[in-house]
Amino acid sequence: MSAAGRAFAAALLALAGTAGAGEIKSGSAFLSPQMQRQQADQARNPGWLWVEQGEELFSRREGDAPGCISCHADPGRSLRGAAARYPQIDAASGKLINLEGRIEQCRAVRQKRPALGHESQELLGLAAYVASLSQGVPVSVSAEGAAKPYYEAGKAFYERRQGQLNLACTQCHDGLVGRKLRGDTISHGVGTGYPAYRLEWNGLGSLHRRLRACSLGVRATQFDYGSDDYLALELYLAVRARGLPVEAPGLRR
Amino acid sequence: MASFNARITMPAEARAGEIVEVRVLVRHPMDRGGQVDAGGATVPRKILNRLTVTYAGEPVFRYDMHTGVSANPFVSFTTRAVETGDLIFEWREDGGATYTRTARLVVT
Amino acid sequence: MSSPISPACAPFEPLPSRRQVMAAGAAGLALAALPAGAATPPALAELVARLTEGAAPERAGIALDIPQLVENGNSVDVAIRVESPMTEADHVRWIHVIAEKNPYPDVARFHLSPRSGRAEIRATLRLATSQKVAAVAALSGGGYVMADADVVVTLSACIDGG
Repeated sequence: MSAAGRAFAAALLALAGTAGAGEIKSGSAFLSPQMQRQQADQARNPGWLWVEQGEELFSRREGDAPGCISCHADPGRSLRGAAARYPQIDAASGKLINLEGRIEQCRAVRQKRPALGHESQELLGLAAYVASLSQGVPVSVSAEGAAKPYYEAGKAFYERRQGQLNLACTQCHDGLVGRKLRGDTISHGVGTGYPAYRLEWNGLGSLHRRLRACSLGVRATQFDYGSDDYLALELYLAVRARGLPVEAPGLRR
Repeated sequence: MASFNARITMPAEARAGEIVEVRVLVRHPMDRGGQVDAGGATVPRKILNRLTVTYAGEPVFRYDMHTGVSANPFVSFTTRAVETGDLIFEWREDGGATYTRTARLVVT
Repeated sequence: MSSPISPACAPFEPLPSRRQVMAAGAAGLALAALPAGAATPPALAELVARLTEGAAPERAGIALDIPQLVENGNSVDVAIRVESPMTEADHVRWIHVIAEKNPYPDVARFHLSPRSGRAEIRATLRLATSQKVAAVAALSGGGYVMADADVVVTLSACIDGG
């Protein structure tokens, strides 16, 4: 290798070092100490208001339909860790499904109830409740078998330049981590805090809502809630986040 | 309309004379009004405008809220433990609706 | 710690916050060059005078803790503590918060009594823009105390509306 080549390689290594490519951190690592404390405080983090609603819905029975609790008895035990394994391949359809998708599927197939709808307060509440049961459990999604094509598609999405600003996710979320963007600090872009309470939203929202804001931010196509594009990206982000604890409901700017 | 949830955090027990901190987090959009919605209509103001707290029947705290209070507002205040009794929290919303929650303090 | 306003933290220390010290320093500088009273912008002075029925509040014995740099104006933590024995004879009747440049500058009022034990509250405000925020407390003896702070409101990078 030439001297110039070695210098370039060293510069690349240094860049990788500053970007922390080997050590992916949770979104909360980029918050102020005050917001970190508030996220951890159930008396203070408004996300728990949605968890409370979700817990109530989980135990409720509508008409003759079984309630969530009818199958998932003792959810604190039986569903502990469940959210850490999403998104995952749905055995029945062979397609990738996230936690919100699984909840809607349970409603349609087992409870014979109409869908709650993306970003409905009820679905956010249930997703936040089920996710909260996995708080502290390390993310452990699978990217093998039928999930592999989704993982590959998600990785390609993450690395592809897009939008009028012609930016790829990786340029900021690997290359500029820790730097400022307006009032924010650029994070590794992992979704372990979602559904999260964002001050910007004045409420709880899903990871896909956050991804739509990212897409709009680089003036790229916004995909639909629950679309294969965002599901694949969600899986790629979850693989990046493997080993990090689930912290939903997170508190974000 | 989102459900009304309130999370009231305070000690269940206190010694007589002890000052306890009461923390209250409540779910409300606190619509300040005046914004234009997707259909071009003006959103009316709808906030919780007052929280009143009584303890064993006596008023101990009142929070008057205007449009400068955040959505899903948090408030904390203190009260001196005097006798075993209920703290009754009553929120008043624009339009006259009220919401009530109760928490018991045992004084030893 | 510059903004000890998480409920998880210990109660207030009686020491003045860095902001108070800075405010006191700035007020001192301004007073050196200007006639007394000119350090407060007229708009805020008028808003305060309306609350105090014209009385000039003392700038002592009250701590207003609010971040200098706000992460999002939608929810801003504020903590206010007034030095008071909170007895029948000597207590804080209320604490009023003003955000000078909000569309409606009266933000909130907290009514206290000797039953409060301490004159100490925390709350979450909504600030429209960077501005001066003030807390005015009415004392049982008829006097008033106040503190204010300059707050910079920053913008979020990624919002739903782009």
